[in-house]
Amino acid sequence: MDNNTYIDIKNISMWYPVNSGLKSIGKEKKWIKAVDDITIGIERGEVLGVIGESGCGKSTLGRVLVRLENPTSGDVLIDGQSTKNLIKNDYKAFRRLVQIVFQNPYDSFTPRDTIEKILMRPLRIHDIGKSDADRNTIIKEALEASGLRPAEDIMSRYPHQLSGGQLQRISILRSMLLEPKFIIADEPVSMLDVSVRADIISMLLRLSKENNASVVFISHDISLTRYISNKIAVMYLGKIVEYGDSEVVVNEPKHPYTQVLLSNCASIDPNERMNKLSVEGEPPTPINPGPGCYFAPRCFKAVEQCFNKYPDNIVLENGHYVACDRYNK
Amino acid sequence: MSTILEVKNLNITYKNKKKNVYAVKDVSFTINKGDSLGLVGESGSGKSTLATALLRLHPKHSTVITGKANFMGKDLISISEKELLDLRWNELAVVFQKSMNSLSPVHRIGEQIEDIYRVHKPKATKKEISDRASYLMSLVNLSNRVYNLYPHELSGGMLQRVSIAISLLHNPKLLILDEATTALDVVTQGQILDEILKMEKEMDMTRIMITHDMSVVSSSCNKVAIMYAGELMEVGCVEDIIPNPKHPYTQGLLSSFPSLKGEKKELRGIPGYLPDLSIKHEGCIFATRCKDVMDICRKIKPVKKIVDNKQEVSCHLYGGDD
Amino acid sequence: MESNLNNKLKKTYKIITSDKQLTAGIIGLLIVLTVIIFAPSLSTHDPNFYGTNVLSGLGENGHLLGTNKMGQDIYSMIIFGTRTSVQVAVISALISGVLGILIGGIAGFFGGKIDQFVSELINVFMMLPTFFLILLIIALFGNSITNVMIVIGITTWPSNAKLMRAQALSIRERTFVKAATAMGESKREILFKYIIPNGIFPVIANTTIGMSNAILTEASLSFLGLGDPNIISWGQMIYEGKSYITSAWWISAFAGVAIILTVIVFYLLGDGLNHVLNPKHANGREA
Repeated sequence: MDNNTYIDIKNISMWYPVNSGLKSIGKEKKWIKAVDDITIGIERGEVLGVIGESGCGKSTLGRVLVRLENPTSGDVLIDGQSTKNLIKNDYKAFRRLVQIVFQNPYDSFTPRDTIEKILMRPLRIHDIGKSDADRNTIIKEALEASGLRPAEDIMSRYPHQLSGGQLQRISILRSMLLEPKFIIADEPVSMLDVSVRADIISMLLRLSKENNASVVFISHDISLTRYISNKIAVMYLGKIVEYGDSEVVVNEPKHPYTQVLLSNCASIDPNERMNKLSVEGEPPTPINPGPGCYFAPRCFKAVEQCFNKYPDNIVLENGHYVACDRYNK
Repeated sequence: MSTILEVKNLNITYKNKKKNVYAVKDVSFTINKGDSLGLVGESGSGKSTLATALLRLHPKHSTVITGKANFMGKDLISISEKELLDLRWNELAVVFQKSMNSLSPVHRIGEQIEDIYRVHKPKATKKEISDRASYLMSLVNLSNRVYNLYPHELSGGMLQRVSIAISLLHNPKLLILDEATTALDVVTQGQILDEILKMEKEMDMTRIMITHDMSVVSSSCNKVAIMYAGELMEVGCVEDIIPNPKHPYTQGLLSSFPSLKGEKKELRGIPGYLPDLSIKHEGCIFATRCKDVMDICRKIKPVKKIVDNKQEVSCHLYGGDD
Repeated sequence: MESNLNNKLKKTYKIITSDKQLTAGIIGLLIVLTVIIFAPSLSTHDPNFYGTNVLSGLGENGHLLGTNKMGQDIYSMIIFGTRTSVQVAVISALISGVLGILIGGIAGFFGGKIDQFVSELINVFMMLPTFFLILLIIALFGNSITNVMIVIGITTWPSNAKLMRAQALSIRERTFVKAATAMGESKREILFKYIIPNGIFPVIANTTIGMSNAILTEASLSFLGLGDPNIISWGQMIYEGKSYITSAWWISAFAGVAIILTVIVFYLLGDGLNHVLNPKHANGREA
C-alpha cells in the first residue's frame, strides 16, 4: 500500500459458526464466511463503491468496519493507527472517527424523542460544544445549512412526522456532527424516492469533502455507485473479485461475475439492448466455500484449474486487479 | 386492436373520521390486447392504489371509488361481488411486491397451488393441477421439485417466481405486477423480466407493470403512464416518451436515474416535497416543484392534450388550458 | 410550549375516548381515586371506632350498610378499605414491574449467558405455584401488609420479565439502536434510553392486570386468615363475616362486591391500554 493510503483494511474476516454448542461436538466445524480475508486501501477523501448481490457480504463488511460487529480476524488502520487498539484504549475516539449512515431512515431514530433531543445526544456524549445552548446553535446551523428549514420547527418534531428524505438528511447530519474521517454509507438512498436521491447523495458527498473523509458506499445500484465512486470493489461470497477505477470496472469489466452483473443492469434507454449474460441459479450461502474459485460452479469461463485453488489477485494496469486465473499470463 | 381495459375518470379517495385522502384523481387510460403498460410513479403517486382498486381489494367502508374501469365489457368498479369473484384470478391476476409473504409458511407450495386452483375449478384433479403447475414453473425457470417444498426452503427470487406462476394458473387476460421485482437482486430481476417477456409471447397476455424504476419499464414495456400525486402526467409509448419526455415531471424523473455507461451527466433530482394529498389543490399539482412553472399553472389545472401525435400530456406547456 | 401541552392533552383525551374499555376503565379509576382521596369526607363514621350498635342491619341506627360484630360501620370500612386495596395493588405492581422490566430488559438486551441464566430463572419461577409460595412466605415471615405487598411483587415479576425480554430482543435489532451504538452510547445508556422506553408498553398493560390479581391475592390471603388483621381491608371483612354469612350477610357481601368492582376497573384499564398501545396505533399517536 502506498503512502496515500489513509484507510488500510487488512485481512478483515467475519466468520459465523454454523452449529455451535453441544450439537457440533464430533462434527466438522462449519463456517459461514460472510466476509473472507478482505484487504483494501482507501485514499483520503476517496469514495469506494462496494457492489454485489445479496449474500456477498457487503453489508456485513460495512457493519464490521464500523465495529457494530467485531471481525473474527483482521484490523483496519486509519492514518497508520490500529483501530483495534484505538477501541480498547479510547472507545469514544473511535466512534468519532468512524460513522455509518443506515439504509432505513424511518427506523434510524428512536420514535420517542424529538429531533432536537436526538441530535443533542452525540454532541453531549462527545463533549462537543461548551453548553447545551451552544449545542443547540450548532444543531440549528447544521440543519439550516442542509436545507432543513425552519430549523426550530424541524427540531421540535418527532421522526414519524418527517419524510424519508428529511430523515435521511438528519441521519447524515447526525454522523457528520462528529466530524468523522471514515464514513460507511450502507445503501443510503435505496429506500427513498428516486427524485429525492440526488439531493441526499450530493449532501453526503459535500459534507464528506468538508471533513476530508473517506467514504465506503455500499449499494446494489450499480449505476448510482459508478456515478459517485472513485473506485469500485465487486464482492462475491465474501471476497473481492474485482477492484479498480469505477469507470474502468463498469466499462471494461474483467471478472466473469462482474460481467454477468453489469450485463443484467437494465438501462433506461430502450434502444440500448444489453446482451444479458446468464448465470445458473442463485448465489449459494457462503458456508465453507471452495476450495477453488467461489464463482467457478456458476462461471461461464470456468476451466478445470479454477476448481482447484482460489485464484490470486491478478494485477492489471492502474491498480485494477481481478481474482480470476483466466487472466494469469 | 381490441381494448382489454379502459379506465375512465377513476377517482379513489380514502375517507376516515378526520380527513379525506385523494389518492387517485380523474385518471383515464386504455390498454389494448398484448400491451405491456408500465405504470410509473414514486411514493404517493397512487399507482398501487389504482392497481388494488381494479381488483376491488380496498376496504369498502373507508374507500370511495368513482369512475369506470371497463374490463372485457364489465365495469370492475360497479359489478356485483359474485361477478367480481368470477373474474378475480380467472381473467385478472396480481403479483405483489414481496409475494413471499403471501404464501402460507406451513403448507407446501403444491398444496397451496391446488387450493388456489380449485377456487375456480373445484373438480380439478391433482394431476391436472400439477401438470399445469409444471408447465408454468418451467416458464419461470423453476424446477419441479419446488412443488413439494415449503416457502422457507426457497430463496426470495424463487418465491417471487412461484408467485408469478401462481398468478398465471387460469391464463388471465390481464396480469398486474405491482413492484414485483423491486425487492430482488439485479441478476434475479433481469432473469425474471426476461422470463416474463418470454411468457407474454407464449400466453398472449396483457400486462401492467407498476414500478418506480424506469429501467424496468424501458426494458420490458411498450407503453408507459407516469403518475404523480394521484394524477396522470404523461401517457404514451415507451419509444416516444423515454427519449423525448414532454412533461417536466417525466423529464425530472428520467434525469434522476444515473446512466450506467456513457458520460456522467449531472445527477439531478426534483426539489421540493409531495403536496398534501388530503387537500384539493388548485391548478397543476406539480406546480410547486416544476422547473418550468408559469403563473397559469398555479391557477388552472391543465387538460390532457396529445402532443406531436404521440403522447398524451397534461401540462400547460403544451396548451393544457383550453 | 403551552400549545404543545394543550396538544398533548387533546391527543390523550382522543386516545382515551377511542376505546370503550379504556374509557370505562379510566372513569372507574377516577371514581376509585375520588373515594381514596375523599375517604374521610365520604364515610359516615370512623371505621376504626368500635361502636355500640353491634351487628346492625342495613340502614339501622344510622349505619348505611350495617355494622359488624365490633360495631364498626361497614360502609365506612368499605370506603377506607379502598385505600388498602389500591395501595397493595400499586406497590406490588411497582415492585413486580420494576423487577420484571430490569431483569427482562437486561436478559433480552445483553443476551448470551445472562439471557440463558435469566430465562431459566423465569422458567423456574413460573413453575412454582405462586399462591402457595406466598402462603409459605407469609407463614414464615409474618402477615403484615408490607410483607404481603413485597411478596406479591417478588412472585409476579416473571410475566413482566418475559414481556420485556421479548421486546428487548426485537428492539435491539432496530436501526436506531445500532445507530446509538455507532454514536458511542454505552450499553447502559442504550438499555435505559432506548430499549426500555420503547418496549415498556405491553408491560404497562400487563402490570395493570397484575394490579387486579394483587387485590384478589390480598383478599384471598385475608380470607384464609393470613392477612394483616390490623388494617382495614376488604379481604379481612370477608374473613370476619364468614361466620355470619347467614345471620349478618352484609358484613362479607359488600366487601365482596367492592373487590369485584375494583378488579373489573383495573382489568378494563389493562385491556383498554393493550388495545390503545398496540403497535398499530404507533405509540398511541395516529397511524
